[in-house]
Amino acid sequence: MPAQDERELRIVGFLCNWCSYGGADTAGVARFTQPTDLRIIRVPCSGRIDPLFVVRALLNGADGVLVSGCHPRDCHYAEGNFYARRRLEMLKRFLPITGIDERRFEYTWVSASEGQRWQHVVTEFTRRIHELGPAQSFNPATQEEWFNLALNEASKGEACACHGS
Amino acid sequence: MRIGVFICHCGSNIAGTVDCESVAELASGFPEVVYSTDSMYTCSEPGQEGIITAIHEQKLDGVVVASCTPRMHEPTFRRAVERAGLNRYMFEMANIREHVSWIGKDKEHNTNKAADLVLMAVEKLRRNRPLVPKSFETIKRVLVIGGGVAGIQAALDCADGGLDVVMVERDQSIGGKMAKLDKTFPTIDCSSCVLGPKMVDIAQHEKITLHTCAEIEAVSGYVGNFSVTIRRRATYVDWTKCTGCGVCTEKCPSKRSPDVFNEFMGTTTAINIPFPQAIPKKAAINPATCTMIQKGKCGVCAKVCPVGCIDYEQQDELINVDVGAIVVATGYDLFDWHKYPQYGEGRYPDVITSLQYERLLSASGPTGGHIKRPSDGKEPKNVVFIQCVGSRDRSVDRPYCSGFCCMYTAKQAILTKDHIPDSQSYVFYMDIRAPGKGYDEFTRRAMEEYGAQYVRGRVAMIYPHGEQLMVRGADTLAGTQVEVPADLVVLATGVEAAQGAVKLGETLRVVPDQYGFFVESHPKLKPVETNTAGVYLAGACQGPKDIPTSVGQGSAAAAKALGLLSKERLESDPAVSKVNLSRCVGCQKCIGTCPFGAIKAITDRQGKLKAEVIETVCQGCGICTVTCPQGAIQLEHFTDNQILAEVNALCPPKMNASFE
Amino acid sequence: MSQLEELKAAIRGHLDSLDCVIGWEQGYDPLHATPLFIRNESDLERLSISPLAVHNPATYATGFAGKKIGMVVRGCHSRSIIELLNEKLIERENVVLFGLCCDGVVSQRKIRTALPADPGFVEAVEIGDDALHITLAGEKTTIKLQDVLADKCRICAYPDPLLADVLIGNKHDSRPEETLACQEAFEAKPNAEKFTFWQDTMSRCIRCYACRNVCPMCVCQDYCIAASRDPLWMSQENSPAENFMFQMIHVSHLTGRCTECGECERACPVDIPLMLLRRYMNKQVQEVFGHQAGTSLDKTPPLLTFQVEEARIKERDW
Repeated sequence: MPAQDERELRIVGFLCNWCSYGGADTAGVARFTQPTDLRIIRVPCSGRIDPLFVVRALLNGADGVLVSGCHPRDCHYAEGNFYARRRLEMLKRFLPITGIDERRFEYTWVSASEGQRWQHVVTEFTRRIHELGPAQSFNPATQEEWFNLALNEASKGEACACHGS
Repeated sequence: MRIGVFICHCGSNIAGTVDCESVAELASGFPEVVYSTDSMYTCSEPGQEGIITAIHEQKLDGVVVASCTPRMHEPTFRRAVERAGLNRYMFEMANIREHVSWIGKDKEHNTNKAADLVLMAVEKLRRNRPLVPKSFETIKRVLVIGGGVAGIQAALDCADGGLDVVMVERDQSIGGKMAKLDKTFPTIDCSSCVLGPKMVDIAQHEKITLHTCAEIEAVSGYVGNFSVTIRRRATYVDWTKCTGCGVCTEKCPSKRSPDVFNEFMGTTTAINIPFPQAIPKKAAINPATCTMIQKGKCGVCAKVCPVGCIDYEQQDELINVDVGAIVVATGYDLFDWHKYPQYGEGRYPDVITSLQYERLLSASGPTGGHIKRPSDGKEPKNVVFIQCVGSRDRSVDRPYCSGFCCMYTAKQAILTKDHIPDSQSYVFYMDIRAPGKGYDEFTRRAMEEYGAQYVRGRVAMIYPHGEQLMVRGADTLAGTQVEVPADLVVLATGVEAAQGAVKLGETLRVVPDQYGFFVESHPKLKPVETNTAGVYLAGACQGPKDIPTSVGQGSAAAAKALGLLSKERLESDPAVSKVNLSRCVGCQKCIGTCPFGAIKAITDRQGKLKAEVIETVCQGCGICTVTCPQGAIQLEHFTDNQILAEVNALCPPKMNASFE
Repeated sequence: MSQLEELKAAIRGHLDSLDCVIGWEQGYDPLHATPLFIRNESDLERLSISPLAVHNPATYATGFAGKKIGMVVRGCHSRSIIELLNEKLIERENVVLFGLCCDGVVSQRKIRTALPADPGFVEAVEIGDDALHITLAGEKTTIKLQDVLADKCRICAYPDPLLADVLIGNKHDSRPEETLACQEAFEAKPNAEKFTFWQDTMSRCIRCYACRNVCPMCVCQDYCIAASRDPLWMSQENSPAENFMFQMIHVSHLTGRCTECGECERACPVDIPLMLLRRYMNKQVQEVFGHQAGTSLDKTPPLLTFQVEEARIKERDW
């Protein structure tokens, strides 16, 4: 277990009700100790998870976002995780261009019986986020930073990666 | 809104590692929370009364309970708030036991986390709205798919309980695998004597309609109101007239048809009644081998039929039926043992399957109940049984145990001795699995009373040895290699999912596991339910099962169907998708992604295309909500705003700094 | 007959049966073009198809729902039309496409940089075979077309319309092999630099929604979730994070649908290089689904369908 004395980071989880939320319950019932950083949002199906929820969390300053659903083919709603897989994969692949470290977002599949796997996923993901450290805020955190940003911008004129070349 | 928050100690389950008083105190400062308290056992009767009293006294219009997982007690608390006059959807739960107190040791971190989860629940609750279920009538008719012993039991129980039953069977007769068996373990009673009367009951029960040579073509609708299309294959015989006299089968000159009922031990006539006790006892023509249908010449059966029921022009027929519940009892098929090179891959005629051996033992079988080996019709003296052929073997992707092969192998060893007193049986086995009532005693009898020699080990190869076969294997108990000469080798072929199970699963929206067996709702507490409401499982379609378990499941599935349809009306879950018609631009993307066909296109008064959700069909997955770019279709109780509120509660957006 | 005359003749033949034909004409000065909605013969006379005529007529297509219209389309515009057809947002029998084999259009932004002074109001533009001769404040400047070609045209793989009822001009045999060095350079930058770049850039965004309004695939009309209370995806606060959130919504909704017409970037009044995001996402879509939006009829956008076994999505192990 990672040391509990370090500062907690903000990790948001989106879990489908039928498999992964049940898996997290199973882990709890079995008393599989896990880091405490993660906060879980329950949704009916991974197909309900809009990649924009993940983006919203990251832009709000979440240090990590973890999505988990039923294993492909085991979706309670037959097809939800098939759609989710495509949507989430595209988000994960897209993040690098934004400069947001794509390792801050992960998606996986955990069934209701896989308590141990859930413990492993949470532990590993939390460890990864702690290695990455706190996420940089997209909005400047202080007045000074806001001011610097404005100055920076004003001095640049046409600050464009393309048109300058 | 006036929100009440209740923090549960769950004895010491939560309070042991969460400071519940602090969480309650913190919660009192959350938006719109007017009442916050902690209690020892919130789910107990005094705990629930506490909620109800607080709702009345504090005029609460929303309640948050922080306790165990909502998968456990959400229904309990919903009923409690409902008793106090609130809508059941004006309730949220924070899981601070399974997700907090049981998995984290640091009390301070746990307490913070619990408070966060309560805040999340409060923020979501602030955006909840009362939802009212729609009620609808149910059709008091059950569809039973599969006419094996499990399906027969389910059908009879449903019919005796007063429901109409439609039974659909793929084969020409009902009876399934059990009808092919000679005797059954552990009592050695005659299989057809036990099953026969039940089959007759199916035919004679006034509430049961039977369609054989029939398969499920399509299923639509939802619990209580399924609409089913059945395809009945052409039999080329008008069954309303056929009396089952059998004259046609005696006169038919084409005798090249594979004898399916006798497990391909020989051939039969093109027009055929599979076995004497067949239900329905009607003849059917195999179009592949009928010379009249193939070449237009013959017509003997039409000439000899005393009632004129032969119809060479008959076509497949589609039958539509509406039912309220569906019992799936499609059974199993046998593993294709030809995949194993060590058993000869079919080169040796005297290597047969256990089910073929059943037919040799059966008095109604191809040899009239005399054990004659296929190659030369001689009576075998040395019979070698090989267990676990296609069971517990990862190399052929069949890691599971087929469950009942140990038992029927013991039975067949006993019957061999009964039929041929001077015979000797050898059984190659991995472990003896005999956990049923009287089962272990039975296998011991095979060894001790009937002298079957059990060899613990796998067979490495079978090779011809004069008129015999030589079976070479390991004896792991003696630590040696053994060679047993055999006149006949019987393979205890394992069970696999019935052919077409995966496709049927798609039609019924019942998920098959990786081996094609249907997945039950809960492995322990909901063994015959599926995740599709109103569809139940019975027998080996869910996993390998012996006869008593299959019959038990048939009755269990019938009890579920009877319980469901005993209600005059059913209520649909109101947490389904809803279209905001003004936002909908009619792009129909949601219609394409809905797995249930629950969204249809409508035209509004201005003639514009819009989407509309069929509430009773919608299952509430929310795929459509993510599909819709305008956010026009929202899954109630899990709307964008509700989930975003949870996200924002966890990660408050950093606002623009003020430069005042 | 010149290509313009050929096109005019073709449109003339259809004018009676169509509510409107969308093309281009000269805008407020000779350097700028503006969309032209041709309803009669005199409108038709103003038609211009010079490299200055850049707007994507497909943007207007859904606004004419239920009416029969014609559109003059370049290669990239035809992709937008195909995508709209694939998503059943317009109907084939309601559109007549006058296809233009396209040699590329200009970037006003590049012209602005190439001119000695801020253009303001240009007196005259003469369009030669490979150069523009621009008269500004009495002085004539010659700019090579190749130097001010829009980025999207430099790497365009579909200069000829992929769908057209009438085709004007000569089809291109070879396709430019060029890649955009600046795109690649940006992609290769470390995360921290990219992050700061977007922070800076997004603080410039004024949330005018021009990028959205000009996008042919943004069909939500007045119901964009960026500006609604229910659902409430974002605040109206002008901060880098909220502005970026809006761009992420746009990217997300365009996944597998963007036809790379470049209109969003062209329309941006504060020069945000939005195509960096678009091209990157399109590359991912191409890699994972082998899909290029609007390049063939009857293709479902990849996020609206699925495969049970996804050949190019690796299952993640833990």
